[in-house]
Amino acid sequence: MAIVELKNVTYKYPLTDSPILQNINLQVNEGEFVAVVGPNGAGKSTLCYTIAGFVPHFFKGELTGTVEVAGIESQTSTLNEWVLNIGLAFQNPFNQISGAKYTVYEEIAFGLENIGVPREEMKARVEEAMKLTGISDLADRSPYSLSGGQQQRVALTSILVMQPKVLVLDEPTSQMDPIGTREVFGVIRTMAENGMTVILAEHKVEWVAQFADRVVALHEGQILLEGNPQEVLTSDLLMDNGFGISRYTSTAREAKKQGLWKKDMLPVTLDDAVEGFALTLPSPDWRGKK
Amino acid sequence: MFDNIKKEFSTRTLVLIPIAIAINIAIGELVVRLKLPVYLDSIGTVLVGAIAGPWAGALTGALANLIWGLINPFAVPFFYVAAVIGLLAGLAGKQGAFEKESPQWLSVVVGAVFVFSLTMFILAFTNATTDDTGFTSYPAMSELFSNYAVIFIVAILAGGAIGYFLLQKGGYAGIWGLVTGIVAAIISAPTAAYVFGGVTGAGTDLLVAAFRASGGNILASVMAQGAVSDPFDKMLSFMVVWLILRSLPARYKAR
Amino acid sequence: MYEARESGLHLLHPLTKAALALCLVVAGLVLPSRWTGYFLVLCVVFPLALWGKVFTPFLRSLWKVSLPLALSLFLIQSLFWGEGEILLSMGPIAFKKEGALFALVSMGRILLVMADFILFAMTTRPDTLMISMKQAGAPSGLAYIIVTTLQIVPRFQNKASTILDSQRSRGLETEGNIFVRARAFAPIVLPLVLGSLIEVEERAIAIQARGFNSNKEETSLIEIPDTKTQRLTRQALILATILSIVARIAWQLLN
Repeated sequence: MAIVELKNVTYKYPLTDSPILQNINLQVNEGEFVAVVGPNGAGKSTLCYTIAGFVPHFFKGELTGTVEVAGIESQTSTLNEWVLNIGLAFQNPFNQISGAKYTVYEEIAFGLENIGVPREEMKARVEEAMKLTGISDLADRSPYSLSGGQQQRVALTSILVMQPKVLVLDEPTSQMDPIGTREVFGVIRTMAENGMTVILAEHKVEWVAQFADRVVALHEGQILLEGNPQEVLTSDLLMDNGFGISRYTSTAREAKKQGLWKKDMLPVTLDDAVEGFALTLPSPDWRGKK
Repeated sequence: MFDNIKKEFSTRTLVLIPIAIAINIAIGELVVRLKLPVYLDSIGTVLVGAIAGPWAGALTGALANLIWGLINPFAVPFFYVAAVIGLLAGLAGKQGAFEKESPQWLSVVVGAVFVFSLTMFILAFTNATTDDTGFTSYPAMSELFSNYAVIFIVAILAGGAIGYFLLQKGGYAGIWGLVTGIVAAIISAPTAAYVFGGVTGAGTDLLVAAFRASGGNILASVMAQGAVSDPFDKMLSFMVVWLILRSLPARYKAR
Repeated sequence: MYEARESGLHLLHPLTKAALALCLVVAGLVLPSRWTGYFLVLCVVFPLALWGKVFTPFLRSLWKVSLPLALSLFLIQSLFWGEGEILLSMGPIAFKKEGALFALVSMGRILLVMADFILFAMTTRPDTLMISMKQAGAPSGLAYIIVTTLQIVPRFQNKASTILDSQRSRGLETEGNIFVRARAFAPIVLPLVLGSLIEVEERAIAIQARGFNSNKEETSLIEIPDTKTQRLTRQALILATILSIVARIAWQLLN
């Protein structure tokens, strides 16, 4: 059952000449994890904003085509009606902190206060969400005293507590160090395992390969390729069009040319690479003996 | 009318205002650090006026002033001045002053006129004479011109140059800034006199007293400072905001 | 400025404290006696500060803020008072008794306003104040702006410093003659403001995505304890405030 459906969507920001999204047709089913990859400027962020309804309501500009989430169309409804179906997170966690609250607990409750949830229910939902994302120990800290990874997890929790139907994430780990990245992906994995529909725009293809059910490759505002992560992320089409691919893929591609990679499918992750190379290279045991 | 006011306070505006107030303070401290002879502590306020409108600008000014008051309580009675600056910035924005490019000659003229009037003002005060009854007379304009012709010519040229280099094509913004600064100086004078001078109707007039005690020189410098720093400062502030808005990518300009 | 303490004063409803602060200030400024200011500070504000367990930081803040004010007020008033009895003269400079007296009296009032405000700020959490104001009918947008400003402003200084340092490391000169220093202005201010505008856009989207400004009936996580006694006290304080204004007007008319 398609919970997100974009039909022939073309969008141009105000005061610009060329459309940033061209003729996008995309369907996402409930519970699916779809990753959107593409070089900078391909339109990933715009696509995220479009699914979340901020294009066109917040950004104005010209939108043609239809965007439907959970059966409601974005152009014919107001932003306020729309937003509660979608949870949106982006790169900079600092910019997602409301600024109006002194503790993490209150920050997470902020959204629930805005929509008028009764106090008892509010507390229950906040505590449940914090437990789910593993940040209960941060409850009394000031949001501004946290690390990037912690702030992003707080941001995600603040969104999840609103119980959205779809989670849209625009490169949530771009500004994180490796620890923060791992923490954030941990939360995303938990959400996905709990059946949340996730749309993730991401550069880090190794992570994408681990989680995504489907990968959409966006290039200059159009969908270049769509399908199984393994196929899409190792395809020549991506490499020829300036997409960032995993170093394991590029290594294996070179190795293939020299006959050192025997499998059909190129690897995306380290584990795939190890598995593949184990077929051709002698594998010393870990003490270095052959 | 209330609808118009409400429209100015979109979520974007509400989020902008605290940041604009922080910008006021940050830039105000930056110029101190760079040891520049200006205040430039209302750039955030002008920015809000320019982007969001007069009412938002006014609120920003008033709030910024009250926050500034936590550090320097002397500032608090002047909250209405800061509000007016934001208000005028908003009106300037509605007139497109921050979007249009003015011809360079306009900036030259604005600069020249400003420095010229300033010079005239200062010279008038420093050459004022007080007789024994306390009556002050100011020299006639013709007298000033004939005595200080060279200074006036230099003033016009310097003013033109300042206008050319500092304002460049931001002449419209510059004019609005100048006007705002003058208005600000005028409306802050009564409060300044009351708060710092203690004019209370108890039979003293600080200005007259100071004037008499000093033979006119202190007054000239006090009034001159108020008259100089505000208009020039606001002219510059409006120009900086014009520069900022010009550098914005088109996407951000749609309100 | 808030100092967290376990005290009876802290537990009072924010509006009760606001009403108290208002009543004190109005009474101090409006009642006829010249020494009301000092009286109220010593007999009401100081005991309250003790009750709130913030006496030491309170006194420190009060001292820091009022000392420069007191000094300049004293100097200006005693030196520039018109005709009067001379207390002390040092050559051309003479301190007049009336001026010094006037400064003393004014200082009492100023001290009251400062002490009142400082105590209020130290014992009231801004966000609980905003919540109670919202419950009393104030626009929630205003509450958002005020609390956010208080959180954001302190953190903003870092942003400016960071940009200053990174531009410096790229070769920007910030010392030297005035032209050099002035030219350093734009490369610091432009990124600062442009970056802030991006922050504004993203934050506006983020909070709107969480239902902010959505015209729905809002609820509050924090429950602010209130009692009937406090409610009555607030009403009594407002009444007292109005009465003192009336008393002053009456006194004025009768004299």
